[in-house]
Amino acid sequence: MIAYKFLREDGAGLFTSFAWPAPGEWVEAPAEECRSGVHACRVGDLPFWVARNLWEVELDGEVYEGRTKVVATRGRLVRRIEQWDEEARDDYVAMCAERAHELAASAGPGWDAVIEPSRPEGPALLGFIAARIAEELDGPEAYYGERASQAGWLVDRLGLRA
Amino acid sequence: MSEHADHISCRDVVALVTDYFERALPAEQLSLFEQHLNFCDGCISYVEQMRLTKELVGRLEEEDVPVEAKDRLLQAFRDWDRS
Amino acid sequence: MGISGTPVAAVGPTPEELQLVERLRNRDERAFEALVEAFYPLMLRLARQYCSSRAVAEEVVQEAWVGVLKGIDRFEGRSSLKTWVMRIVVNTAMTRSGREARSVPFSAFAGDDDESAVDAERFRGPDDAFPGHWNAYPRDWRTLPEGTLQAKETVDVVREAIDELPPMQRVVILLRDVEGWPAEEVCEALELSEGNQRVLLHRARSAVRKRLEGYLDE
Repeated sequence: MIAYKFLREDGAGLFTSFAWPAPGEWVEAPAEECRSGVHACRVGDLPFWVARNLWEVELDGEVYEGRTKVVATRGRLVRRIEQWDEEARDDYVAMCAERAHELAASAGPGWDAVIEPSRPEGPALLGFIAARIAEELDGPEAYYGERASQAGWLVDRLGLRA
Repeated sequence: MSEHADHISCRDVVALVTDYFERALPAEQLSLFEQHLNFCDGCISYVEQMRLTKELVGRLEEEDVPVEAKDRLLQAFRDWDRS
Repeated sequence: MGISGTPVAAVGPTPEELQLVERLRNRDERAFEALVEAFYPLMLRLARQYCSSRAVAEEVVQEAWVGVLKGIDRFEGRSSLKTWVMRIVVNTAMTRSGREARSVPFSAFAGDDDESAVDAERFRGPDDAFPGHWNAYPRDWRTLPEGTLQAKETVDVVREAIDELPPMQRVVILLRDVEGWPAEEVCEALELSEGNQRVLLHRARSAVRKRLEGYLDE
């Protein structure tokens, strides 16, 4: 199964600091959501985990589908998604900020003030803010709806397999 | 936890951080915790502060056994031995 | 990489400990000396959490050693020797101060609920756009000047902070973070549930962090 994974600058896992071997080399681990196994994103999960480096990964063995991630007993890096570069990140931030302003217009005062100062923090935060404002306006479904649009933007921009 | 169970606040992170280090968070909460850390630099700093605090506490050193105490104890041992 | 969430059963004595127990049962003085060297400092530290002065703590430790010698023939090895000895210290201290370990409500030793890890005003209020989020971010301590965290003064602040903790928080952070005991052993030595032990550890570490932040922000 093809999926995606964000890694840190140095190629290590975001939360475990696991040092991934070279692309093509399989990694195996028992799967236990959040605690063990190869964790990865379906395209819909990408906005929740946006970070510096994006890789296409191949998963094998047993695959468990979580709410915002999948966990497999076997996985390997396939290729880095080169199109997820500085420019793409800036455009994603701009897109999320624009959406956030749009949504903030219908929401109460105080929402708008958070958006611009949050820009330098990067794509993950802006994506969250846009989704949160949507949620305040229209409930939890709107949160996920906004995340889905963000995912759609990423798929289009990066040419990912949906 | 905040009203909306699909994400947690920074205040939640502060309350949950020890459970996180102790690997005592249930999977769902752990996922939310890590998602939050992914975008919140403030909480990344806070969690790191807690980690460093634990490390610093670990640097406190043991004191040696005072000589008089040791002598008294050896005496107690010999009394026990004889009994 | 993976650790399951279920607690591990408390470990028994190490081979070295079993040897010492044997030798002690054979009245080997050297074995006793070795045990004292190994355990005395921690015993004193532990007793100190329950006693009003160092002098009283030393008395408690002396008494505890007598208890150890009296009980060594009956030591069953269900826990490690270390845990067993430390439990004797705790029981001795508690009995001496006229209280039974069980009769004291947990809250009396645990510290106040009001003592929150981070002051409320550090977070955005309920009417803010993002309730519960940071007002101003905590500082990244990795950007502190080189050597600040390792400096003696910083360690002193930590020591002071620990000395000012309520007794049970002090004991737990001492055993967990200073001595490096696993959670199960601490729970056993202090007769705490896993949850309670974690609460105490959380409060203790949070309080120390707060003190450190105050010091480092100057």
